[in-house]
Amino acid sequence: MKLTTARICQLLFLALFLILFVQTEYRGRDEINAAVNAFFRADPLVLFSYLLAAKSWSWLLLPAALMTVATLALGRFFCGWICPLGTILDLLTPKNRKGSPIKALKGNFKYWLLLPLLTASLFNINLSGLLDPIAILLRALTFLLYPVLGLAGREGWVGLYRMIGERRDALAPAYSLIRDNLLPFRDTLYPLALLSAAILLGIIALERFETRNWCRNICPLGTLLGWLARFSPFSRVPQILCGDCGKCRETCPTGLDQNVLLKEECILCMECLQECPHERISFRPFLKLKGLGPLLPERRVLLGGMAGGLLLALPIRFRNPETQSRLLRPPGVRNEDDFLKKCVRCGECMKVCLKNALYPSVYQAGLEGIYTPLVIPRLGYCEYNCTLCGQVCPTGAIPLLPAETKRREVIGKAVFDKNHCLPFARKIDCIVCEEHCPIPEKAIRSRNVQVMGLDGHVRIVKEPYIVEEICNGCGICENVCPLETKAGVEVFAVKNRTPIAQLSVGQEAKESSMYK
Amino acid sequence: MDRRTFIKATGAALLLAPALIKETLATREQSLVAVAEGTDYAVITRKAINAVGGMKRFVKHGDVVVVKPNMGWDRSVELAANTHPLVVRAVVEECLAAGAKKVKVFDNTCNDSRRCYVSSGVEAALKGMKGVECKHIETERFRKVTLNGSFLKEWELYDEALSADVYINVPVAKHHGLSKLTLGLKNIMGIMGGTRGYIHRNLDVALADVNAHMTKHLTIIDATRILTAHGPQGGNIADVKVLNKVIASTDTVAADAYATTLFGMKPADIPVTVAAYKRGLGEMNLDKIKVVKA
Repeated sequence: MKLTTARICQLLFLALFLILFVQTEYRGRDEINAAVNAFFRADPLVLFSYLLAAKSWSWLLLPAALMTVATLALGRFFCGWICPLGTILDLLTPKNRKGSPIKALKGNFKYWLLLPLLTASLFNINLSGLLDPIAILLRALTFLLYPVLGLAGREGWVGLYRMIGERRDALAPAYSLIRDNLLPFRDTLYPLALLSAAILLGIIALERFETRNWCRNICPLGTLLGWLARFSPFSRVPQILCGDCGKCRETCPTGLDQNVLLKEECILCMECLQECPHERISFRPFLKLKGLGPLLPERRVLLGGMAGGLLLALPIRFRNPETQSRLLRPPGVRNEDDFLKKCVRCGECMKVCLKNALYPSVYQAGLEGIYTPLVIPRLGYCEYNCTLCGQVCPTGAIPLLPAETKRREVIGKAVFDKNHCLPFARKIDCIVCEEHCPIPEKAIRSRNVQVMGLDGHVRIVKEPYIVEEICNGCGICENVCPLETKAGVEVFAVKNRTPIAQLSVGQEAKESSMYK
Repeated sequence: MDRRTFIKATGAALLLAPALIKETLATREQSLVAVAEGTDYAVITRKAINAVGGMKRFVKHGDVVVVKPNMGWDRSVELAANTHPLVVRAVVEECLAAGAKKVKVFDNTCNDSRRCYVSSGVEAALKGMKGVECKHIETERFRKVTLNGSFLKEWELYDEALSADVYINVPVAKHHGLSKLTLGLKNIMGIMGGTRGYIHRNLDVALADVNAHMTKHLTIIDATRILTAHGPQGGNIADVKVLNKVIASTDTVAADAYATTLFGMKPADIPVTVAAYKRGLGEMNLDKIKVVKA
């Protein structure tokens, strides 16, 4: 592989992607300045599906609008210069290919994916994140590869302790450098981890049949960018293979399958420019474009794709009511429908979540909600003063809120299960939940009640109760409940997520510590 | 005296004897509690330490010292949920001045430990100090320890606390929903691992069990500002009362007993104190405690 300008640019963006990915974590400050959401905010597929689904504009997606304009002007450079998944494919593509292109993927296959996705968006189901290449890459990293890295790092460190005990401390500075800058803070297991990684591996495996197989035959972002690129007045010249040479056919990773350059497939990697033995090739403004088919795919595909989207939009909305009672969304999400229109399922909120409260939905939100984030309080609770998920959400599906507002946002409401909760079920004191309730006025309180103990003696026990008006459903009570497995207090979803009442004056006062 | 009364009396005497003996042993050296007051928290912390004999009495040259503040909650300094960073820093400085080789500061926090270390101000207060460690808890370092207590037979305790040459307990004085107050005795929960919530079902006895096992060479209670309600994490500045006091004692029970009075309560009102006193871990009767103004 030669180090062309495009290559260097690709590698830099891949490095940037990985650095931002690692940076998408709490590192001692309330704010994250740069997160990997930058890639989604510059993603035209995210922009188009957002516009169609939410039917409104978001300034968060301004970079994607600029990217759209740039693509209209220059062509599909994103795929050859920026896309981190494309770069990974270029790095891993086999030198000696055994297979030949898969017929089924040719033709209009990619439109059969893109059109239903966009049409479904119009009917309020935004599924684009499922097939967005950056989302696919990020989910594989977040749900499997990064936790594995963390596990390996930590297990190695723990193993060292088991071997040499406290003498390990001699190496602590080196380890803490790695831990603080590279490893995840705590080990988390995610559902759908294997599926997420399998999708990425599948895309890599497709390289066996054709270079950039995913990019030119499947990727809906690439298809969209390719369609935009058709309007670009910038092109490789000449637009055909020269009769006397034809070397470009070997060099080109995407757009020169036939004798004529496929404008919508050219990713502007400029390999042909480097390799041309005759120095005939240039990339420049060129208006007499050849090799352009009709502007829209055949009517059959267009209508069929749209009908597919419409058909898709209805049946996948089915949800099991039983799972709905525990369907808890991140803080600030007040309306489920609105959330589904905006969420790109990139997994960033789940990566950044301070206490690992957020997990991808598997079945809980129905087929339409797969990979959308939900709070599982028994595994992790929403930290009262933390606003990170809203900070990294690329589309504002989880709104960015100042801490004092976020604290009042309602995730759900806690409810005691008297058959399990110790003071009720076993007539003994506990009150761990009250202790941990972060609401300054305490949404969990207790009262002294005279009860007959199970041993027959009358005693005073502190019985907890919920003050529903000020419970924000953060879930710390359920998380810390000392019962095994099932908790004695659980958070349930509520439709009305009006923020809890304004807290008293003192709380709003300056909260910065004197050492900040 | 008939036979029955005789047996009863003998039985009672046998039962009470250990407590009585301990009582007499304990009173041999009267518990000393030093109280310093002032608005310079570093200064009053030093004064309190000096009034109980100075740090050199506890820390010898080359010692590894654990300073265990309460920084369990993601609350800022003025909300009085965590030990004041200036108090912690002053204690650490005294340890270093007394010749400590290394001072380790940590707590097994309730909220996210990264946020707790930052919000409490302790991490920043100790930043850059030579020979001082302020590390997050590493779960592999909890060691199952046989306590043979009345409630807890065994529990996981933190190895750094167990292996330290000197253990200095630096709690903040505050209200608590279940134990009424949390002071020096309850601060021991910060070196406990496992599902700590479990011990709430018999908190007083469980804390006496753990405290009986752990030697606390010195207890310094931060009462520069105290949380009077909605403890242990509070969150409302209206619940905070500024007292500008620091209390020091080698007797945790006595320090707790004195600190209780700052809340307008009596030591006997706090079951944790009573349980520890009954266990012979220290003195709780205020008239048997010598309080000196430092």
